[in-house]
Amino acid sequence: MINFDNIAPVKLKGAGGGLWITIDPSHPESELIAEIDRLLKKLKHLAINADVTLDTGDADGQEELVERIKIHLENNFELGTISTSPQKRSIPTERRRQRDLSKGWNHHKSDVLMLRGRVRSGQKINARKHLVITGDVNPGAELTAGGDIIVLGTLAGKVHAGYPGNDGAMIFSLAFNPSLVKIGLITATGAGESGIQGPEFACVEQDSIVVKNYMKDNPFKRMPWPEVI
Amino acid sequence: MEGKVIVVTSGKGGVGKTTATSSIGAALALEGKRVAIVDMDIGLRNLDVVMGLENRIVFNIVDVVQGKCKVDQAAIRDRRIDNLFLIPASQSDNKDVLTPAGVERMAKVLRQKFDYVIMDSPAGIERGFENSVVSANEAVVICTPDVSAVRDADRVIGLLYARSLEPKLIVNRIEPARVERGEMLSYKDVLDILSIELVGLVPMDEKVLISSNTGTPLVLQNDSTAGQSFRRIAKRLNGETIPIEVPNLKPSVWTKLGKTFGLK
Ligand SMILES: Nc1ncnc2c1ncn2[C@@H]1O[C@H](COP(=O)(O)OP(=O)(O)OP(=O)(O)O)[C@@H](O)[C@H]1O
Ligand SMILES: [Mg+2]
Repeated sequence: MINFDNIAPVKLKGAGGGLWITIDPSHPESELIAEIDRLLKKLKHLAINADVTLDTGDADGQEELVERIKIHLENNFELGTISTSPQKRSIPTERRRQRDLSKGWNHHKSDVLMLRGRVRSGQKINARKHLVITGDVNPGAELTAGGDIIVLGTLAGKVHAGYPGNDGAMIFSLAFNPSLVKIGLITATGAGESGIQGPEFACVEQDSIVVKNYMKDNPFKRMPWPEVI
Repeated sequence: MEGKVIVVTSGKGGVGKTTATSSIGAALALEGKRVAIVDMDIGLRNLDVVMGLENRIVFNIVDVVQGKCKVDQAAIRDRRIDNLFLIPASQSDNKDVLTPAGVERMAKVLRQKFDYVIMDSPAGIERGFENSVVSANEAVVICTPDVSAVRDADRVIGLLYARSLEPKLIVNRIEPARVERGEMLSYKDVLDILSIELVGLVPMDEKVLISSNTGTPLVLQNDSTAGQSFRRIAKRLNGETIPIEVPNLKPSVWTKLGKTFGLK
C-alpha cells in the first residue's frame, strides 16, 4: 500500500510581494515553530519587512495556535504585516470566485493524488481526497478515495469514492466497467459489460448510484468558473 | 560468461508451468545451450516424471541447498537431449526447508555452469514463489485464456515488477474453435489486461499429455503444435526475433505482431 500522508509540517512560499506560510497543525507546536524559524532564517534579509500570511491548509479551528505563532513571529523577526488566512469555509462566493480566478490556488495545498500506469489485480490504492489515475485499472484492483476518482483509461476492479460517507463524490472513467462501485455509503455491483462505449461517470441520485454518459451529462458543465478542490 | 536464470510462474495452478519449463528447457538445449531445469515445487515432485527421469534421482534440490551434495551430483542428464539437466525437487521434505538465501547460493553456482537455468515455480504467491524468483534474471508468466488465470497472472506480474523483473507472457491452452465461438477469451483480451511483452501463444494439444505420460520431450515431436510453439518461444527467449504465430483453425495463416505489442 502506498502512504501519502507524509506532509511537511511547514511550507513556505513567495506570494505576491510577501510570504505565505502554511502550517500543518497535526505536528507539535514546538516543532512547527522550530521549522518556521529555520525556514525564515534561511531567507535572511529577504524576510525583513515581508508581509506574511499564516494559514493551516485544510485544518480549521486552529485560531489559538495561529495567534501564538503570530506573536512568536512578531517578537522574533522583523517582518511586515502578519495576517492570518481567511477561514476557508466562510469565504463568501464572491471572494472565492475572485480567489479562484486570480490563481489563488497557488497557495492551496491540494490533496489530489495522481498516479500514472496500470493498477493490477491485488493492488490497493488509498487517497485521502481525490484520486486521478492515468492508466487502466485491472479486474481485482481496489481504489478508495475520500473524494472523486478519475481514471483516464479503462476502469475495472472495485472502486469506492467519497470514503467514508460523502455521497456527493463521483467516479469517472473512459471505459466504465468496475465490478463494484461505492459512493459514500451507497453500493452497486457492476452489470458486466455494458456495451456502452466512451466516457461515463457514476454519481448518487436519490440514494442510488447512476452511471451516465459523460459527454451528454458532464457534471461540471454548469460550473461557471474553475474552482479549487 | 554467466548464465541466465529464468523463472516460470503463473499464480494459478495447473496452467502449464511445468509443461512450459520442460519444453523451453529442452528447446534451448536443442539450440546448443547448456541448460539446467530446476524443480522448485517441493513436496509435489513432477518435472522428473514429465521428463521421464524419475528413476534416476539420487540427490535433490534440498540436498544441494543444504550442502549434502554438489550441484553436479544432483543434476540428472537427460536421456535424449544433450546439455539438458534436471535438478529434481524433494518429495519428502517440508516446504520450508528452502530459503531465499539458500536458493540464491545454489543459483550462483548454477549460473557458472549453465547458459540457462529455468526454474519451475509452484502455484501461488507464498514462500515457494519467493524462493523461485529470488535469483531470477528473467521471468516468464504462463496464463490460460480464462478470467481467473488472468486475475492471478496479473497479481504475479505486479509482484514481479516490484522485484524489478519485467515479465514476459505465454498464453497457453488456446482453443481457436472456442475463441471463435466466443466461449474463450482471445489472446488479445488477455494481452489487453496484462499488457506485458508476449513471447508466445501455445495451442491446446493432446500431445502434451501423451508426451508427459511417456516422458518424451514435446519439442522433439514435429507433429505437436504446442511443441513447435515452445521451440519458437525458446528461440525468442534466446534473443532471436521471429514472428508470433497465432493458433488458428487454418494453420497456414501467420499473423505478424509488433514486438512491443500491448506494452508501449
Ligand atoms: N498446451 C497444452 N495442451 C494440452 N494440455 C496441456 C497444455 N499445457 C498443459 N497441459 C496439461 O495441463 C495440465 C497441467 O499442466 P502443468 O502440470 O504443466 O501445469 P502447472 O502449472 O505446472 O501445474 P501446477 O500448478 O500443479 O504445478 C497437465 O495435465 C498438462 O498435460
Ligand atoms: Mg507444475
